[in-house]
Amino acid sequence: MVGKKKVVALAAIAALLSVTSACGSDDDDPSTSGGPEKADMVMWLNGADTPQEARDWLKKTFEDEHPGSTLTIEEQEWDGLVERLTTALSSEDQTPDVVEVGNTQAPTFTTAGAFSDLTGDLDEWGGDDLLPGFVDGATVDDKTYAVPYYAGSTYVFYRKDLFEKSGLEVPTTMEDFIAAAKTLKADNPDPDFSGYWLPGQDWRDGAAFLWDAGGDFAAADGDSWSGTLSTPESIAGLTTFQDLFEQASGAPADANESDPVTPFCAGNIGMMSRPGWVMGLLTDPDAGCPDLAKKVGVFALPGSDGGPAPVLLGGSDIAVSAKTENQDLARDVVGLMLSDDYQGILADAGLTPARESLSSLLGDDEFAQATIEAASNAKLTPAAANWATVEGTRILEDLFGQIAQGGDVTQLAGDADDRISETLQ
Amino acid sequence: MARRRPAVRATPLPLGLVLPSAALLLLALGYPLGRQVVLSLQEFGLAQQFGRPPEWVGLDNYRALIDDPYLWTVVLRTVVFCFVNAALTMGAGVGIALLMTRMSRGVRIAVQSGLLLTWATPVVASMIVWQFLFDTQYGVVNSVLTSLGGDYEGHSWLLEPMSFFAVATIIVVWMSVPFVVFTVYAALTQVPDDVVEAAEIDGAGAWQRFVHVVVPTIRPVLLVVLLLQVIWDLRVFTQIYTLQKAGGITRDTNLLGTYIYTLGIKGGDFGTAAAAAMFMLALTVVLTAPYVRLMFRQEEG
Repeated sequence: MVGKKKVVALAAIAALLSVTSACGSDDDDPSTSGGPEKADMVMWLNGADTPQEARDWLKKTFEDEHPGSTLTIEEQEWDGLVERLTTALSSEDQTPDVVEVGNTQAPTFTTAGAFSDLTGDLDEWGGDDLLPGFVDGATVDDKTYAVPYYAGSTYVFYRKDLFEKSGLEVPTTMEDFIAAAKTLKADNPDPDFSGYWLPGQDWRDGAAFLWDAGGDFAAADGDSWSGTLSTPESIAGLTTFQDLFEQASGAPADANESDPVTPFCAGNIGMMSRPGWVMGLLTDPDAGCPDLAKKVGVFALPGSDGGPAPVLLGGSDIAVSAKTENQDLARDVVGLMLSDDYQGILADAGLTPARESLSSLLGDDEFAQATIEAASNAKLTPAAANWATVEGTRILEDLFGQIAQGGDVTQLAGDADDRISETLQ
Repeated sequence: MARRRPAVRATPLPLGLVLPSAALLLLALGYPLGRQVVLSLQEFGLAQQFGRPPEWVGLDNYRALIDDPYLWTVVLRTVVFCFVNAALTMGAGVGIALLMTRMSRGVRIAVQSGLLLTWATPVVASMIVWQFLFDTQYGVVNSVLTSLGGDYEGHSWLLEPMSFFAVATIIVVWMSVPFVVFTVYAALTQVPDDVVEAAEIDGAGAWQRFVHVVVPTIRPVLLVVLLLQVIWDLRVFTQIYTLQKAGGITRDTNLLGTYIYTLGIKGGDFGTAAAAAMFMLALTVVLTAPYVRLMFRQEEG
């Protein structure tokens, strides 16, 4: 009890004295604002998505604006993030103050009460300018618990020199694309070579083929959700995935999409679907292969109808941990991450800015065009509250991995449906 | 027996010596166990983890588990994996320990150093090396087998459950053998030479000496080591978890440890996970009871 009183008192003092932490003071819920004026802040960013320049800018700007406070950015792996957030966010002592979370993973945590209510700060951060799909996904009962960080759908990277050698043009329909992938594979006989690089467990890119065929992962039926992977359309899409894996990919059936750089730099990839920031990894003189990267062209994956295929609307949200006492400082960090300067650095790296008005920052080169085109028909995973559990328990990695292995699509899809329905209940 | 002992006067000293450690044990083991029992009777999900009050559901979690044939598949898989691994570890460990008694000093020190390094390597670090070895595309194992003439180019070791468990067995046994070797070797040095010599003079062959003289002497040590091995292999987790992330089909390769983790931490259903953990506890007790009884009987005798 004493502890709580102290916190409230501190919060009151901080609110009175604070010059910088104006954000959050307009929040009408006292339990989710306030906190000390100075603190050592910890923030989780995931994977290599955020460029180093952005991290440096954020740390420096935050520490300059808040003398006496520090900001430590800890990098987490995307793989296994849901379970790490589950354990870390629930502990007052261990919780990071600000976290990045995958846009499709956010709803599970927002409904559980793991994040602070940010509704009161939305207007200051851009209001309706914030990517609406992301804000909606993080809103429960008219309260918004997470804000968009960046968006980014994967588009196709291809080797221009290999296309030329095989006499291929940039494909404009799904059918052409699949044919091109198979031709590349046939023309480059190394067993590790991928005409289209498709690791078996990469369901996030596999989703495009499922959706293009008219299928989906799950559908809402009133309040309850059930798996729809064994509808005829879904089966057709999953069969295309299997066909591509067997006829066009040299990636292992038991691998995921986390490391495209090694096979690409080994010259083993003709085409691959990756988010734009991967280009930064390829051109990196130490970790990548700038010479091969010069031969890269990009296009948005074409759909069967000739328009862009429905690819997964990827991206991240930022949220403030409900358990941290540094509520005001955490909101200041979020504010900086949504600023023009910071979002501009992200846009330079090929990430779609979190605010619609900033999308011109992407430029108008072929990367920008592919980004915008891919996003124009992008789709989200089912909006069920427990969706992150489907991702966390690896139901989809299991399914796509087994399909890649040559399993019976109809039977595997039926089993996966049962598990998805059970999880989403 | 009790009659022969001199009567001990009741003093507070022994009690005072025992109490602190008993209290610590109670705290360190009792609290989590109590919490586990409570959790297993509640509907406790992510929302409860973040402060919503949990709902009591009686035995619903247990009922849901028992009705799910998947639990029994996992239990059976766990028991088989445990026995196979414990047996292989014991066999290899005792074998190497016996070899060590015959080695020259230099060789023995080399073998001991190797075993010690194996034992000292952090699990996660060695798991990364093992993953490299068995990697589908860039793995050393595939490369060596291919250069020897096999068709192992791009072979996935972790996709087929049986192959997955074979790899897991190699790793688990490799990691636990040093402990068995050191303990059994220490016991072997305590076998009196004159007894063995006497048996030799009486005409007992090497096998007979081992079975009738050496084994009975080191029996208590063997029993304890086997007991620990069974317990460890029953709750094996890190190796399976890492291999699953490296490419195994999670559902086909879950053992009880990873299943509980999947239910709780990954799946956010802590109530059912706690109930599954109670099964694991029961299984441990059932499987180890015979050994524990044997050990007690031996001490009494």
